[in-house]
Amino acid sequence: MEDILLSDHFKNRPAQLREARRKGIKVIGYFPGNYVPEELIYAAGAIPICLTAGGGPKPADAALSSVPQIICPFARAQIGEMLLKENPFYNSIDLLIAPITCQHLKKAAEVLEYNGELEIFKLGIPHQHDQDFQLEYFTDRLRALKIRLQKITGNEITDEKLKNAIELYNKMRYYLRQINLKRRQNPSPINALDFIRLNHASFYVDPIFMVETLASIDSGLSFKQMPSASNKPRLLLLGPCIGSGDYTVLEMVKAAGGEIVAEEIYEGMRNYWQDLGIKGDLIESLARGFLINRLPPAFMRNSTKDRLDFTLKLIKDFKVEGVIWYQILCCETYDSESYYFSHKFKEQNIPFLFLESDYSTSATSQFKTRIEAFMEIVNGEI
Amino acid sequence: MKEFLKLCGYEDKEIELELPRVRKAFEKTAITSEDIERGKQRLKKYYDIELKGVRKAFRLCLKEFINSVLVKEDGKNKIIYGFMTPGMDVFGSVLATQSREIFAVHHCWAFHIVYGCIFDKIVPVFEDAEKKWLKAGLVAHCANVKSMLGPYALGYFPKPDLLITAGFLCETSPKTIDLMQEVYDIPTYYFDACQDREITEYPEATRRVAELAAKSARGLSRKIQEVTGFEIKDDMLAEVMDAKGRLNTALGKVRKLIQNSDPIPLSSAFENIWMCLKNLTMSIDELDEALEAINILVEELQNRVDSGTGVVAKGSPRVLATLPSGQTDPRLDLLLCETGIAVVALDYLFRLPYIDNDKDPYIQFATEILCQSMGTPLVRRIPLIIDGCKQLKVDGVLNKYHVGCRTVAGDALIIEQSIKKELGIPVLTLEWENFDPRVHNEELFRKKLEVFKMMMLKNKDRK
Repeated sequence: MEDILLSDHFKNRPAQLREARRKGIKVIGYFPGNYVPEELIYAAGAIPICLTAGGGPKPADAALSSVPQIICPFARAQIGEMLLKENPFYNSIDLLIAPITCQHLKKAAEVLEYNGELEIFKLGIPHQHDQDFQLEYFTDRLRALKIRLQKITGNEITDEKLKNAIELYNKMRYYLRQINLKRRQNPSPINALDFIRLNHASFYVDPIFMVETLASIDSGLSFKQMPSASNKPRLLLLGPCIGSGDYTVLEMVKAAGGEIVAEEIYEGMRNYWQDLGIKGDLIESLARGFLINRLPPAFMRNSTKDRLDFTLKLIKDFKVEGVIWYQILCCETYDSESYYFSHKFKEQNIPFLFLESDYSTSATSQFKTRIEAFMEIVNGEI
Repeated sequence: MKEFLKLCGYEDKEIELELPRVRKAFEKTAITSEDIERGKQRLKKYYDIELKGVRKAFRLCLKEFINSVLVKEDGKNKIIYGFMTPGMDVFGSVLATQSREIFAVHHCWAFHIVYGCIFDKIVPVFEDAEKKWLKAGLVAHCANVKSMLGPYALGYFPKPDLLITAGFLCETSPKTIDLMQEVYDIPTYYFDACQDREITEYPEATRRVAELAAKSARGLSRKIQEVTGFEIKDDMLAEVMDAKGRLNTALGKVRKLIQNSDPIPLSSAFENIWMCLKNLTMSIDELDEALEAINILVEELQNRVDSGTGVVAKGSPRVLATLPSGQTDPRLDLLLCETGIAVVALDYLFRLPYIDNDKDPYIQFATEILCQSMGTPLVRRIPLIIDGCKQLKVDGVLNKYHVGCRTVAGDALIIEQSIKKELGIPVLTLEWENFDPRVHNEELFRKKLEVFKMMMLKNKDRK
């Protein structure tokens, strides 16, 4: 039932955005990676939309008129969607918040800035936070973002509005976390594709509706009658990015009889592991929550050890039997890291499969064969 | 060997003194007598080695290479490597001036010149790095970073006490040193800023980001003190920056001579040597030697200009090239000359017209880094390039982009479109690798350059 309601809501969402804009409500787009506090956008009375479209070749290829192929397909897809003007969500943006994270999305932001069709706020993200001044810088930038949002919306972001927004998004994080933790069960009561789609939906739909839907799903899963334990290989999905629409690999794994029970993906998944504080300076609370109190992505300095430790914990907690690394072509930091992780997994006899995508359809049959063979390895048949 | 060292600017007395060290360093880095023969040929072919100033510049590069290899043998107690760290040369020069115990080097400048440009031995180094996490293939990891990992993995350089990089333009380097920390247990430090300046915020945003970078640089000083026990004081930095400023001024004279001459007296291959010279971690005394070398060269080039001697024919089309010159392979630069294209300047030398009068040396050099063409966001880099083209009165732009560098590669197509639209001059966009000789395709590049030259000549005639 919830999936039908969510699906209907999602289908109607572009019309809702058009209606909202007609009434003077601003729609604020932002690039993924969990560095942009939607709380600030929501507290300004605007609608946050995280731009996560990916997986298909058309938008990524459309961007080749602006950037060469060395820019990763996900970043190119963001440029391409803006150029093609076929995606109603991308057509609805009044302001784009571009967190300055990896070189690819940074370049996408610069190209869009250069094109001049869209107002852009660049949110500087210090790539390390072991010294106080880095947190101070990010906090200052969030204050500057607050001022910009107030200016564009004409609404004041009060502490009360911001506190309410943080509480709302904490609920969203809570329910996603609860749903995810249920995947430790065997069999998992929700499959990976559905869980990832929930994450993607949470970036587009109304947050209050999303929280209600997640609460209902979580409750339903708690009481769901599950069959006896499955012998499907339990897998962990790692990688830089899974765009909304980029589901081919997930579908192939499912078809091959595997079950992805956990993910650690940087772009395209919400960071639901930690809640944000609501006491004291709320901007500082946002800064700490989004910069420090989270798993760092691979481009953050000195992140490798923390990331490996977290991954090994996921493997243990979710009883993972094999790891699939879904790599986006040309993403240099994750590609480098995959080498190190693969060696560490080998030391612990954890099977590892590396799949690299540039969003073209030509690799599909290769992926299928390799995934099927990987299932056999995990099952001990090879 | 002696002839080789003479070609590299060593005097007879110095050769006698240094020969054992040179032999030892070459043995440690697998440089054979065959390589030395090849090196002599390449120096004569690609570099105007008859110019004394050029020889003296090579001498300083070779010295730093040898010092880097023999650092343990030289009895240094602490070793610091910087890699892709703007400003590392300043810190390194301070340490070289003030301490006999600490060796700091900004890899891989001297290594590229010696191992790549002179001896053409760099490919196996990349191959070694490719066996680790900087694999070959479409992911196109930057070969510059491979030349940091490769020689270390091959044992050419000893394990440092601190490994530093900057993340202004690059994520590959910081990730690589993060992995080197995990794999080889090497302490690291990252010198960082945030490239979040928007076009509407210039020039004030530069100050904001420079303050962040300056704090990060002060953190670097503290880290160096923690590792070595040596305190880097502001006045030490100021003294070195002043000396380097004099070197920059002298290099500016070389560049002005080239920009204003027809025919140009020197090829763009030398920009790589000047970049290296600027980044060597020389003591103040050695900086004076570098200054002397460049001052000699200025005189020699003036003589060439006065006599009408050039590396291309008079009237050759004038071109601005983007990015630095090939850093391990001078073939493209020679090809430009052979085709009759005069590269009068490189865009990486352009800078924003923003001056910060703050006396804090950290703010000064952070601002300098952030004002360079490659250090600015696209929306500000393009007007710099267009203004540069107008001032230099170029006939075309060689828009080469280093495929391993996401930052500059991402700018290339927009640069081409903007120049064509604004200036109506031909632009040759060339996918290239600034550090990897394997991508050089002589025939393909020659054909492209010949067509490019024709287009420029036709465009000139039309005007």
